[in-house]
Amino acid sequence: MIIDPLVRGLVDDLLTRSAMLIDRDDLDGWLDCFEAESRYIVMPRDNRDRGFPAALIHCDNKVRLRDRIVCLRHANKFNPHYDRHIVSAGHIRSVADGIAAVELSFLVAQTTKTGVSSLFCAGLYEDRIRVAGPSAKFVERLAVLDTFSVPTLLATPV
Amino acid sequence: MVVARLEAEIPNPGDYCVTHVGETPIVLNRDQGGGINAFVNRCAHRGAEIVREPFGNLADFTCVYHAWCFSPQGDLIGVPFMKGVNGKGGMPPSFDMREHGLTKLKVARWNGVVFGSFSDDTEALEDYLGPLMVEHIGEIVGRPLKLLGHQRQRISGNWKLYLENVRDAYHASLLHEFNRTFGLSRLTQVSGGYMDARHRHSLLFQYAGSDQDAVARQAYATVQRGAYMTLNDSEIVRFVKENPRGITTRIISVFPNAVFHQIYNCIGMRRVRPLGPGALEVLFTMFGYQDDDEAMTRHRVNQANMVGPAGLISMEDGEAIELVQRATACEPGRSGVVEMGGIGAMGNLDTRVNEVPVRGFWSYYSELMGIEPEGALR
Repeated sequence: MIIDPLVRGLVDDLLTRSAMLIDRDDLDGWLDCFEAESRYIVMPRDNRDRGFPAALIHCDNKVRLRDRIVCLRHANKFNPHYDRHIVSAGHIRSVADGIAAVELSFLVAQTTKTGVSSLFCAGLYEDRIRVAGPSAKFVERLAVLDTFSVPTLLATPV
Repeated sequence: MVVARLEAEIPNPGDYCVTHVGETPIVLNRDQGGGINAFVNRCAHRGAEIVREPFGNLADFTCVYHAWCFSPQGDLIGVPFMKGVNGKGGMPPSFDMREHGLTKLKVARWNGVVFGSFSDDTEALEDYLGPLMVEHIGEIVGRPLKLLGHQRQRISGNWKLYLENVRDAYHASLLHEFNRTFGLSRLTQVSGGYMDARHRHSLLFQYAGSDQDAVARQAYATVQRGAYMTLNDSEIVRFVKENPRGITTRIISVFPNAVFHQIYNCIGMRRVRPLGPGALEVLFTMFGYQDDDEAMTRHRVNQANMVGPAGLISMEDGEAIELVQRATACEPGRSGVVEMGGIGAMGNLDTRVNEVPVRGFWSYYSELMGIEPEGALR
């Protein structure tokens, strides 16, 4: 399948920008990567493989996702850390009706505030991205965690 | 006697899953007759792990190393080349397959919960749990369950710190701001910390809506340093009354390794397993009921956002346990203070300003371990 270079460029920009925004701890900027009507789910791989619906983070709409970020900023106490995302090139599986179905692998390293890094998780993003005009945004991001025995806790979005 | 799994996790004949008693790997399976069996996942021959997938469906269990084969009950049913080849080699005439089964556990089933023990000398299950836990756990699991999935978490802390945490009635609204903000759990509510007669299990509960926001906020004025947050979608804190009492949250700890929780309509079972002295794993089994409609299942999946390693309430527990581990492991022999709820005889209190169930845990643990000081309260 030949992908329109403009679509590929917009998708690549969204994938790398959204990863960098989390690593910069700009979660409001990261929220702006999502369409007004969108979903964000972090799912343990074993639940995904076995067809179980329970997730780790399950935001069926953007209001819930925003609530989670507000809660994270305001109420939750978690391990102070830096995140570093390494994402693969996105594999565009299809483009239909302005929506690109994209898969890509990710690794997230976490580093403590005393400078000790470890692999936090490995997994796969299964994204549906609306590519319209000059921008691309997530309609759905499903992060499937290979690392489904979560080290300590999962606060910052993956 | 420990909680192994839920029957709903191995619903069909041949289904098995790997679980643990302490650090020992156990295979739990359902045989063709519907019986549930448990054996140590260690070949009787040379000690290799037999089952290598965490769950599946098998008619028998064959070790990959030398292909010794065992029945679902754990009996040895096949030894390749047992009599040697052409009169050479093989097992000696004295070898009796009946003497080389796997290490079996005694299994007890109650309301869809499977318990296992290495001892044949155990109390009757309902006696072990006591009438209070039977009643409250029964309200959670006493209907056909629908499995919704698992969450897992590894925490760098001693396993007993988790068991303290789930018996610590006091921390729930202090550590977890989500609880005090939205009134899921507040020390100003009608609430309590109860135990069985031997104080080994505990029930922490409260009734949301039994206090007033203004009164609660006055009481927490020194704790809440900033403004309270608000939600734009309050579905996550919507409670559908499912139990006769209308208890909104209860955390029921069963000695030694299990927790049953009902946090509004999010229900599940947690199992804690030690990973050496400095780490633990929690496996959350999330479920609903077979007669839930789609909307109720969605509601439970949404409320599961509150629990587990990413839980809006419970993520903090992973952090708190590691804080205690880091600051205490370096200096053994020191002590803290556990006196909320009073000192002396232990008993049930109609308040969550209460750490007595933590004392109950240590009391029973000390007795079992033979480290109970003379004159200790049981």
